[in-house]
Amino acid sequence: MLWVDKYRPKTLDQVIVHQEIAENLKKLVTEQDCPHLLFYGPSGSGKKTLIMALLRQIFGTSAEKVKVENRTWKIDAGSRTIDLELTTLSSTNHVELSPSDVGFQDRYIVQEIIKEMAKNRPIDTKGKKGYKVLVLNEVDKLSREAQHSLRRTMEKYSASCRLILCCNSSSKVTEAIRSRCLNVRINAPKEEQIVKVLEFIGKKEGLQLPPGFAARIADKSNRSLRRAILSFETCRVQQYPFSSNQAIPPMDWEEYVSEICSDIMREQSPKRLFQVRGKLYELLINCIPPEIILKKLLSELLKKLDEELKHEVCHWAAYYEHRMRMGQKAIFHLEAFLAKFMSIYKAFLIATFG
Amino acid sequence: MRKMRDTNLMILSSDDEDDCDYKPNSHRSYTKNPKSRSFITRTNPRQPKKPRVSGSRSRFSRDSPNLFEVGFPEEDFEELFSGSKVSAGSGRSNVKELWVDKYKPHSLEELAVHKKKVEEVKSWFEERLKTTKNLQGNLINNVVVINGKAGVGKSTTIHVIASHFGARLCEWNTPTPTIWQEHVHNTNTGIQYTSKLDEFVNFIEKIRKYGLIPSSSSEDTKPSIMLLIDDLPMTNGRVAFERLQSCLLHLVRSTQLPTAILVSDYDEADSADHTARRLEQLQLSLENAGACKVSFNPITINSIKKTLSRICRQEQCSVTDEQLDLIAKGSGGDIRHAITSLQLFCVKPDLVLNGSYSTPSYSFGKEDDIDALVSGISFLFGRDETLSLFHALGKFLHNKRETEVANAITPGDAFLVQENFSRLPLKMDAPEKILCQAHGQARPVTDFLHENVLDFISDEAMDDAWHVSSYFSDSDLLLSSFRGMLARYNEAENVLQSAAASVAVRGVLFGNSHPSPPRWRAVQKPKLWQAEKSMLHNQKEIARQRFIAYNGSSSCNVSDVATEYMPVLKWLEHRASGFEDNQALVYCNKTDDESCDRMSLDDKESDISDDEIEEW
Repeated sequence: MLWVDKYRPKTLDQVIVHQEIAENLKKLVTEQDCPHLLFYGPSGSGKKTLIMALLRQIFGTSAEKVKVENRTWKIDAGSRTIDLELTTLSSTNHVELSPSDVGFQDRYIVQEIIKEMAKNRPIDTKGKKGYKVLVLNEVDKLSREAQHSLRRTMEKYSASCRLILCCNSSSKVTEAIRSRCLNVRINAPKEEQIVKVLEFIGKKEGLQLPPGFAARIADKSNRSLRRAILSFETCRVQQYPFSSNQAIPPMDWEEYVSEICSDIMREQSPKRLFQVRGKLYELLINCIPPEIILKKLLSELLKKLDEELKHEVCHWAAYYEHRMRMGQKAIFHLEAFLAKFMSIYKAFLIATFG
Repeated sequence: MRKMRDTNLMILSSDDEDDCDYKPNSHRSYTKNPKSRSFITRTNPRQPKKPRVSGSRSRFSRDSPNLFEVGFPEEDFEELFSGSKVSAGSGRSNVKELWVDKYKPHSLEELAVHKKKVEEVKSWFEERLKTTKNLQGNLINNVVVINGKAGVGKSTTIHVIASHFGARLCEWNTPTPTIWQEHVHNTNTGIQYTSKLDEFVNFIEKIRKYGLIPSSSSEDTKPSIMLLIDDLPMTNGRVAFERLQSCLLHLVRSTQLPTAILVSDYDEADSADHTARRLEQLQLSLENAGACKVSFNPITINSIKKTLSRICRQEQCSVTDEQLDLIAKGSGGDIRHAITSLQLFCVKPDLVLNGSYSTPSYSFGKEDDIDALVSGISFLFGRDETLSLFHALGKFLHNKRETEVANAITPGDAFLVQENFSRLPLKMDAPEKILCQAHGQARPVTDFLHENVLDFISDEAMDDAWHVSSYFSDSDLLLSSFRGMLARYNEAENVLQSAAASVAVRGVLFGNSHPSPPRWRAVQKPKLWQAEKSMLHNQKEIARQRFIAYNGSSSCNVSDVATEYMPVLKWLEHRASGFEDNQALVYCNKTDDESCDRMSLDDKESDISDDEIEEW
């Protein structure tokens, strides 16, 4: 088992990073009326961990006994029936799913599953009707229609189920949903906090940490706790005992992206663009999200660029990121950004060096 | 079991409502006994009853329904006339008969088909007819496969040859499809539905096993028999196709009658179609089994013109030579079409007067409307000119332009554009028109252009590359807007699609202002397609593995798994398997890619990938 999972806090009491939030959540559920919740924050900040600890707080250990189910939902949509396949994780008291997996037909899933859940409500020990919790991942990727229908179902079935929504950016969740939920913002952990966690793990594993080593990992981790722990583990496998100047192995795809960057800085020509396209394809094939590729590309480029150009390059990156989200095939937009960069950079080189 | 009637001809018809289409003197029509075929509800009210060439042909009628049928597969023709009621109605007074039938060639000399081809087929049959008389049952190959585009005179040639030898021609024509209502109606009367393929297979089996039993009346003369299989039944799905194939292979191997199988080729542009591909496959396998193959080329414009002017002389209508030329050219080597056009042309005055200029009968595309506007009424009938997709792509990519601006443009006419936006005029039709001709779908066209255009941009011109790719980005935006939402409003989606294609194409043409020097290049199949395929595949993989996180008690975002878990796991695995050096961390999905490559090799797209485009 990876350390990320091994040392994931199981209960709200064990939480190291977001202790305050954990306290509040605990208070919230002990009063027996849990509102709908919306967790948002950057990846690797601990949203899921908190959600799971919260579920355990509410339902006890039964929340950990889950089964994975790959179900086909038959949905009657007016004139035709649609078959949608979706994997769900469920215990007796909660169901977790990522509705955005089914693409633009996600609205049906949201309605249908919530309706079904509302039908069979569990009865708790005191004979009172309890509620079920539905955990929806990646709500920000839900289509607009799905969010609207989610809003209606939230109102209609609020007696029988609670929703816990989880997403990276609340700006892509409609105002209507946000106002119906208690918003919980999970910040990315500070570097000191990450160091603290790493030291905690190191102690548990019985490792000697040279001074400053944990800080270096935290620095490289881009304030993602998951990232930090994962690279901590790779470091451990790479070399132990640690030396304080040990290289921290980067993610392979990140290396690949910086390779692309140095490619396009070295030569600007349609031919080079064509070569780079091949590399982009490879990244996409490996399911690296295009938004992340673009972001990483930009940050790598900014490291090497002259101050003069930074503003313009950022502008175009934003421009094409927007188009990428509107569009369908990311490669067109990624490539357009690279082409624009190459054309800017070439003009700059000519202007500077003649 | 098989009765043969010695009528020259029997025409099958379901509802004989207007008899005025008949040529009353020489032919009679029979309605087939109701058991077999009385329930046909024809959708078009005036099915042309086509008198056939009188000759020694006769028709066999069997007890089982629908087996033999004399008909002529001229659906397009029927449509033409039934669809445009006005024109047909107005022209009926002077059009007694379709010229295609009236001037059907009766002798080998009259055939417009190339002499050599006719000779080839003729001598083939001659040989067979002789040998079958002498050495009955000798197993030489007895099948000729004739292919060619529609309307190049395949069936006519066979008919003429048959009458030339005085042979009796036994035909299989695909029976009229059973309509659902008809089937429902029939089930009450206890008639089983048999698929057309079943019927065909039965027919072939019987022919193969028993040959044709000559009728007693004609026993003394004993005319030789030729079998003609026009129009193979449509097969849907692999299984049906294989059945058809094996049945035909049996026929090729063991038939004792000289048999001609006619296969219509489709335009290249349509070859993405599965059926066309299958037909090719079928032909190949028949050939391998020993069938002789003759391909008919489109009929030359000259011989079409000759035929047309002969008809003109006989009909005494005055058509100028240029007009004939236009018709002949417009027909694209389809003589049937040319004759029909001529007939239509001769009744045209009525047509125009009746205001049926835009009769729905011309199911021609947009481009033809444009043509009609451009070249006036003379282009009212012409086959669609088609281009292969690769031809069109080549045009766009090579970006041929005039070398200098035509000075004739008056300043008032032209837009004033800045110098960096002005381009020399294109040396081709409007891009949209070319797209239409190539049946270009927006998405594939964009993908193809995207894959190939960079190769055509001069190495110095980075700005151009950006222009082009930004236009692709625009086009992608157009293609994806309202995705899924507009499924019901196809109209809007069509507009978007054509706009997107237009943006992509014009973007390529405009953006590539410094094309690289012309040379021979291959047009590549978009890698994007393969990339997308393997991406989907990997996504599924990852979705399955997403439960590795959180001890299986929760799921993880696909993107997190892909960007964080997978690399680390891979890395750890590398370590575990003993790769000690850091360089082992090369990008590790090479193997995946290779497997995908192999997967896509037998993919159907791959055979077009290496198509080469030459310089025009």
